[in-house]
Amino acid sequence: MNDDYLWDKTGEPDPQVQELEEILGTLRYQPKPLQIPDELQVPQRRKYFPWLAIAAGVLLAILAGGIWLSTRSRSDAPPQQVKVTPPEPIKEVTPSPTVQKTPELRPNAQEMVAVHKHRPKSSTPVLSKHEREEALMAKEQVMLALRVTTEKLSLVHKKTQNTYPANQIKNQHRVG
Amino acid sequence: MKTSFKTPLIALLLIISSAFVAKAQDTRIQMGNLDHLAAKASETVDVNVDERLMKLAARLFNDKDEDERQIKKLIEGLKGIYVKSFEFETEGQYLAADLEPIRAQLRGAGWTRLVNVVSKKEGNVEVYLQFAGEMVNGLAVLHTDDKELTVVNIVGPVNLDKLAQLEGQMGIPDLGIESPKSKKKTNEQ
Repeated sequence: MNDDYLWDKTGEPDPQVQELEEILGTLRYQPKPLQIPDELQVPQRRKYFPWLAIAAGVLLAILAGGIWLSTRSRSDAPPQQVKVTPPEPIKEVTPSPTVQKTPELRPNAQEMVAVHKHRPKSSTPVLSKHEREEALMAKEQVMLALRVTTEKLSLVHKKTQNTYPANQIKNQHRVG
Repeated sequence: MKTSFKTPLIALLLIISSAFVAKAQDTRIQMGNLDHLAAKASETVDVNVDERLMKLAARLFNDKDEDERQIKKLIEGLKGIYVKSFEFETEGQYLAADLEPIRAQLRGAGWTRLVNVVSKKEGNVEVYLQFAGEMVNGLAVLHTDDKELTVVNIVGPVNLDKLAQLEGQMGIPDLGIESPKSKKKTNEQ
């Protein structure tokens, strides 16, 4: 018996080997496209993610926008924190040797310093004429509302103060 | 494909519902139903200052003036002040039913009636507060008299101590309110 058939399919095959070969041959690899059974398919799970991402993105954008708007409306004063140190630039501007009016330049420098000091006060956003009128009206309304409110609270206060001492006296009598 | 639309739809509904919840927690009282009384009233006070106007008004208060500074501090955090006040020449110009929508609002949404003063001479005054934790988040005052009806609504964190500090300033009447702190101080002295 020649074993070459088992190694490289040369020589005479053994009938038993041939028989086994035929039986097992049905199970040999046959190239065909992969087919996943329906039960194992993951239906549309991946389609969720883009929509989830979009929804999360929209939410984040709304939140960020809200935070930005609220912080923007709150921050009124700080922009003038970047101040130019007042006297130094003036000294740099005035070095021309032809101008010898040094005593006149000093007061100018002082004026410039004063201008810088005034800037932070004018830094609050200036109201337009219409806005100012509106603000004046609103201020009057606020004052009127506070007046009415405190009048009513004052009435409550008077009434409650009138009643409590009487009760205290009654209680004292009961205890005593 | 139907299921793929569910998630953004739910997210959108969540956003909308959260906006409605935020709206529900607002302490503003709707008083529009009282507007028809203006025609019958001899005097009407109608104050509507929302958050934007409040901020505008706050700019005009002078920080150098002690009284104005105090008022500015008081209104700084507020989201609105609304007042409707009607004075009539004769009695019975308004009905209890006119007040019912306002009372209905004050019965819900976390409002607590702090004081109810009943007076034959000066009418009834009810003071309502809405709390957010320990903070006062809204104030409502309801004054009903035979010839007068007043509703005050302050929206936002009302500082009652600061309100008491306004006594006698800029035409604001003297309440005679003593805060617990000031009472302690006077006792110590």
